[in-house]
Amino acid sequence: MRFPTRSVLPAVVAVVLLSAGTTACTYRNSGSQSAGSASSAARTGGGADLVDGSGTKVALVPGGAHPYFQPWKTAGATAKKTYDLGAVAFDETAEWDQQKQNNLLSTLAARGYNAFGVFGVSPTDINSTFADLRSQGFPVASLGSCPAGDKDEADFCLSTDVRLAAYKAAKAAIAAMGGHGVLVHLTGNNVDANTQLRIKGVGRAVRETGGKVKLLQTITDIDTDLQTAQKAVSDLMAAKGEQITGIVATAYNPAVAAADVVKSSGSKAKVVAIDDDAKILSGIRQSTVTATVVQNPVGQAEIGTWALALLQTKQCSVRDPGVRVDSGSFVVDMANVSAYDTARQAKTAQLKQQFADEILNCG
Amino acid sequence: MTTAVGPPDTVTEERTAPRRLPFWVNQRLGLLLLVVALSVLFGVLRPAFLDQRLVLFPLLRDISTLTVVALAQMVALSVGHMNLAVGRMAAFGALFAGLGYDRLGVPMQVGLLVCLAAGAAVGALTGWLIARTGVSSFVVTLAMDFALLGLVSLLYSALTDDAAFTTHPSGIDALRSYSLADICAGPICGSPAVPQIAQFTVLAMLGLGFLYGSTRIGRELLLTGANPAAAELSGIPTGRRVVLAHTLSGLLAALAGFMAAAGTGTFRASIGDDFMLPSFLGAVLGGTLLTGGVVSVLGTLLGTALVGVIRKGLDLLGVGLESLNIYLGCVLLLALSADRIRAVVSYRKVVRST
Repeated sequence: MRFPTRSVLPAVVAVVLLSAGTTACTYRNSGSQSAGSASSAARTGGGADLVDGSGTKVALVPGGAHPYFQPWKTAGATAKKTYDLGAVAFDETAEWDQQKQNNLLSTLAARGYNAFGVFGVSPTDINSTFADLRSQGFPVASLGSCPAGDKDEADFCLSTDVRLAAYKAAKAAIAAMGGHGVLVHLTGNNVDANTQLRIKGVGRAVRETGGKVKLLQTITDIDTDLQTAQKAVSDLMAAKGEQITGIVATAYNPAVAAADVVKSSGSKAKVVAIDDDAKILSGIRQSTVTATVVQNPVGQAEIGTWALALLQTKQCSVRDPGVRVDSGSFVVDMANVSAYDTARQAKTAQLKQQFADEILNCG
Repeated sequence: MTTAVGPPDTVTEERTAPRRLPFWVNQRLGLLLLVVALSVLFGVLRPAFLDQRLVLFPLLRDISTLTVVALAQMVALSVGHMNLAVGRMAAFGALFAGLGYDRLGVPMQVGLLVCLAAGAAVGALTGWLIARTGVSSFVVTLAMDFALLGLVSLLYSALTDDAAFTTHPSGIDALRSYSLADICAGPICGSPAVPQIAQFTVLAMLGLGFLYGSTRIGRELLLTGANPAAAELSGIPTGRRVVLAHTLSGLLAALAGFMAAAGTGTFRASIGDDFMLPSFLGAVLGGTLLTGGVVSVLGTLLGTALVGVIRKGLDLLGVGLESLNIYLGCVLLLALSADRIRAVVSYRKVVRST
């Protein structure tokens, strides 16, 4: 076979043209764009009590549709009523695509929203988005997930410490297993920075047993939907159900699937799940699920919206921009399954106080 | 610009000028009118639609990237194949660019070259497998999609802590945020609505327009798509043309991956996850035949723009997630139906002319 000169030539020309393009055409000779159009309302005093939020329109933007974010909708609506805000929107049309989420945020800004609470689709990319929004004068909160790495371009991050939550869940599972046995970890998208943190959290708990607990497998990429998770857990139980003595699920769909499958298969494996889906709570009451680690999405949306309104009206500023605040995670088992929401409400109240006293600087 | 296979150049005496369809039947014109009409409609319903900085700039940036994705699919369709791995090839190419920036500290242009080379290589491999084995492009590219999905995830997990390369080479932030407003001649500056990253799309369109419109290889690619047996009998090395088409498809997919990474900030495994549907939608809406032999470079841009405008307009109108996808799904169905009708009409035209 002859070397295909004629075939290769167009590709080479295209490559040279494309790479030359970046050298030739990325160009700027004008000054930087003026800052955006956030409200110029003067500081009105009143400490951390919002004086007038009628001009504040807060957009709560999850990464996409997911049951975890549903409390944001009601908490946002409650915050609008409580603080008499101009508007609070909940928009889940980002479809787990960072570019779509970026477009959605700019569209919401064009629609008049002037403060943003965002769960970034990609923790490694979201800082660029936050920097864009802040450069246009909009206050931004990273809600439910903090950017990967040490840097946070949002005004603040209010999120579950996912590594700590995974560690707590794994510790609870190991305790239920009697301190020894074989554990399996079910989680979400492997190439997500938060999943990597969860894997590290579970790994730490297993290492602390000094070899008494063996981490048999970490199954990733099964949080896309419940059906995928159910199939993965069923396959796992069919293949290795005999050896497994504990399951820790650190993502929503795998947690629900594990609760379902363990109940239907009659397995003796101890399951520690995440979040408070009705099936998981029912599993705890029926003892098929040992415990669950509950997060605080209501507190994220409620406190996030309130703090964003204070920033948007210029009534307060953030003392340490980019500060990370743990919104709380709670281990719920048979003993506190009926009363855990009280602890969560207490945590939300404590978060509000923490923001007023330590995070915000109000005139 | 639509390009289709025509009679061989050597047959001139008996060739009669093909009867041209009236200009208003032209599919590109129809698409252009549709895009303009929808833009006006959304602009009237929501004046914010015409906000250059907040709406048009991100919209055009998105269209630029997705047009390159659709062009990658168009090239595969030109030989009657399809590339189901277009998204993974984008991720594969971007992986090498990110690796170069993060580990080797190469300049942006070198990283882009490596990215394009990686995309072209994996595309060439795909084309070679199809040409050598004769297995359907659907099967081979689907297999390649799965293989790259695993490989890319594995490499990111092994090479990074956060499953992404976060190093920003000099100039990449400018690619993301600069518009023509940053280019001024004295007091006159360009539009802030047009992103500078669109240069890649323009170059890709010009290159493909030249390839399919003015070169023998382009015509051979189209004839290979229209009728592989006839092409083979005419002395066209169809195997090499298949390899070339998939090489270009991989190269363009990798370019789209680079643009997506530049647009969002980092090089990560999830780049290209959502590329497959827009790649077909843009190309087919624009007039490229699924069965091969006919491509439209300009139509691909317009098809992609139509989808982008509809989505942006619906976003501005505050349409919820479920309704949004229903509308987008309807557009896809209409596009495929129109393609079928056009195929039937073309067939009848050929029968009449012979």
